Amino acid sequence: EEEQFAYKQRLKAAVHYTVGCLTSEVAEDVGLSFSKRTIAAIAETTFRQCEQFARDLEMFARHAKRSTVNTDDVKLVARRSQSLYNFISEKCDQLTANNQ
Amino acid sequence: MESGNEGANFKKETVSKLMAMYFKDKKTKMSGDAVLAMRELLRVFVTEAAVRAARQAQSENSGLVDIDHFEKILPQLMLDF
Repeated sequence: EEEQFAYKQRLKAAVHYTVGCLTSEVAEDVGLSFSKRTIAAIAETTFRQCEQFARDLEMFARHAKRSTVNTDDVKLVARRSQSLYNFISEKCDQLTANNQ
Repeated sequence: MESGNEGANFKKETVSKLMAMYFKDKKTKMSGDAVLAMRELLRVFVTEAAVRAARQAQSENSGLVDIDHFEKILPQLMLDF
């Protein structure tokens, strides 16, 4: 239990770190700064959102009778917004092209 | 393939461990491409959160993006993802 908690905290810290890097890129672009609390809140939201993403991915894969999540499942996760769907589809096509 | 075209991004390892942590069935795995696509999606999610919060701060003439700006954009962000 305790080990599980520590593992989760380490992952959370990794997410927090990357969110910090990404927000500082945005901050530079827009010429504003982000408070530490805001960065922490974005990190926490991202961490929680991952649960939803993971559940969806798993269900989409299972729906197709697969146990391995593939890029089609990721595209479905992005289905709600047309522009996001297009962006992710393009990325997936690039990835597949690189493998051939 | 690492597509380091610009700036920061999540580590592949972080993304796959995050997803694996939340999978209900421990037999569920992710293909390498799926991990890379998912990391792009997460990067978009974080960037959207930051840009929208920044825009909110700008509309309120604030030079500092604070938690209340983020709280205001959060509901729509969650609907969009």
